[in-house]
Amino acid sequence: MSPTTTQSSTCHQLACRMQAEPAALERVCQVIRIRGFRIDQMQVVNEGEVLAITLQLTGDRPVSMLCSQIEKLHSVLTLTLAGQQAPARQTA
Amino acid sequence: MNAAHHILETLQRNGIDTVFGYPGGCIMPLYDALAARDMAREAAGNIQHVLCRHEQGCALAADGYARASGRIGVCIATSGPGATNLITGVANAHRDSIPLLVITGQVPTTLIGTDAFQETDVLGMALGIVKHSYLVTSAEELPQILDDALSLAQSGRPGPVWLDIPKDILLTELPAPGPTLTPPAAPKTSPDVSAALALLRQANKPLLYSGGGVSLASAEDAFRRFAAVSGLPNVVTLKGIGNPGLANPDYLGMLGMHGSRAANKAVDQCDVLLVIGARLDDRATGQLQTFAPHARLIHLDADAAELGKLKTADIALPCELNATLDSLSEALEASPLRIEPWRQQCRNGFITQGFHAAQNDEPHAPITGTAFVRELSRLTPDDAIIACDVGQHQMWIAQHYEFGHPRHHLSSGGLGTMGFGLPAAIGAQFARPGQTVINVTGDGSFMMNAQELATIRRYKLPVKLIILDNQCLGMVRQQQELFYGNRESEINLDDNPDFVALARAFDIPALSIHRVDQIQRGIGTLLAYNKAIVLHVAIAREDNVWPIVKPGASNIEMLDESYRTNNHPIKERIA
Ligand SMILES: Cc1ncc(C[n+]2csc(CCOP(=O)(O)OP(=O)(O)O)c2C)c(N)n1
Repeated sequence: MSPTTTQSSTCHQLACRMQAEPAALERVCQVIRIRGFRIDQMQVVNEGEVLAITLQLTGDRPVSMLCSQIEKLHSVLTLTLAGQQAPARQTA
Repeated sequence: MNAAHHILETLQRNGIDTVFGYPGGCIMPLYDALAARDMAREAAGNIQHVLCRHEQGCALAADGYARASGRIGVCIATSGPGATNLITGVANAHRDSIPLLVITGQVPTTLIGTDAFQETDVLGMALGIVKHSYLVTSAEELPQILDDALSLAQSGRPGPVWLDIPKDILLTELPAPGPTLTPPAAPKTSPDVSAALALLRQANKPLLYSGGGVSLASAEDAFRRFAAVSGLPNVVTLKGIGNPGLANPDYLGMLGMHGSRAANKAVDQCDVLLVIGARLDDRATGQLQTFAPHARLIHLDADAAELGKLKTADIALPCELNATLDSLSEALEASPLRIEPWRQQCRNGFITQGFHAAQNDEPHAPITGTAFVRELSRLTPDDAIIACDVGQHQMWIAQHYEFGHPRHHLSSGGLGTMGFGLPAAIGAQFARPGQTVINVTGDGSFMMNAQELATIRRYKLPVKLIILDNQCLGMVRQQQELFYGNRESEINLDDNPDFVALARAFDIPALSIHRVDQIQRGIGTLLAYNKAIVLHVAIAREDNVWPIVKPGASNIEMLDESYRTNNHPIKERIA
């Protein structure tokens, strides 16, 4: 599906901390695309072992569904949604 | 020892005794280590390497091994084309949550990114079809990665983990692996199930819906106890077939696009739907808006991301299924549900609207897929493993073969991969050497991995093959007939090779049948023979799978044979 902006599209801000492994950024970008969101802004700071990523996204699907898919990525350490903490990693 | 030896040693210490692979340039150090180990420890035993004849065959065989055994499957290939050939098999495992360890050689570290010979971006290419993947960038990190990969592939919701290892790293010296520490088993605790129980107790028409998650969690026993204690009428998804066993009186069969009327109607009428280890896939639910319209939903799954993904649940419990089912069972044992009228209604529904096969007993009548599958089900031993391919024959098996256990039914669910069946049967036979393993395939699917007949022959596997030959891509033909105005497009296979001669070319005996009175003897011969054998079954081109729900339509709009006669007059040739 192509993440087009519609009237019901909403902006979301996510902060994600990931293990700095070779494909980390590709993984998170791919999940965002496949699950129907568009990246409007992205900032990445390499803190050595960890990548600190902040994202501004647009999409009309429930963002909680995106969060639970991003959290499933093995190299994601924490994920925070605009001020609120997404639920901690569950079994997966 | 070098890293290649280290890998094999680690696999063996983790109890892995069989791997499926195909050699080539960048993975040669691993094959050299295999050979060296073979020479060094003839007596002590080694990992058995199974050479399939295509890397897709390796991945699918490893998948079938894992499905039949419940253990991790391992496949190995070289860089470039070896890795790209694995992709379909790995995607297949990913979509069905099968634990796989995938190992590929990569071009040497210094050549990565130079468009070197047989270089492909394996890490990038495989991102969407793995649970996780690693490009190993130094030998020192390899031991930890191996441990992590093995446990990750098998924990929580299982899946494939891919290790891409540059050739120079395979050749780097490493100490021998330390003793294998069995990780402490994840605690099996149940979440609070009181709200789920309260909802079940309020219901007049509760229904149980189970999927592949039950056997992935090895929760078959807990599931059966719960099904018996609760007495819930129950339906299964394609991957849940076998969950209830053979003796469950409340079983209504598979639901969904080719589900039974009884199952789809029960879903339509129920007031509470308890979904266990299933992800509400579109082939099972049909049009989502009209799915279970009167039901409140309780959803139990190991993967929290599946809860609420497609349908909001009234009660969503991410959980370990064994413990959770046990707590539900205990509560219901103490105080059972009172749903007799509904149970009776569903049982009656299954008697009249379960799966029925039109049987033509006239000895010279042509064989129909359904009648054949019913006879197969009757004649095979209870623990036989059936590996299907994809198409009509796959659905006939799902509808008409009675499975006592989910690990006896190997079917490519999420990806629907034609060519799955033969390599999966090979993997299953390695996992279960004493059991009868039968690949039931179609003439289209068989040709997708027919090269694996050579693997059967080489390892003297007693795998049996049944080719249901309708001289066409039957499932596509059926949909063209019903939903595309009977315009056939590129489905004709009437120039198939002589399958009997083909099998014999691989030194595998084969026989062919085409009449009803040959069915018993054909299947009898197959089962009595203790080696590989092919049974070619000519069936009518026009056989369809009924019922069928039009893709995207609601599951209550099931079409059957009458739709065919009323709406799409069959071509004269067929009449
Ligand atoms: C690799 C692959 N390519 C294409 C398809 C689409 N497809 C689904 S069923 C089918 C026909 C299968 O024909 P056959 O194996 O002869 O089985 P039948 O339906 O006739 O029983 C096709 C082409 C698929 N599922 N997998």
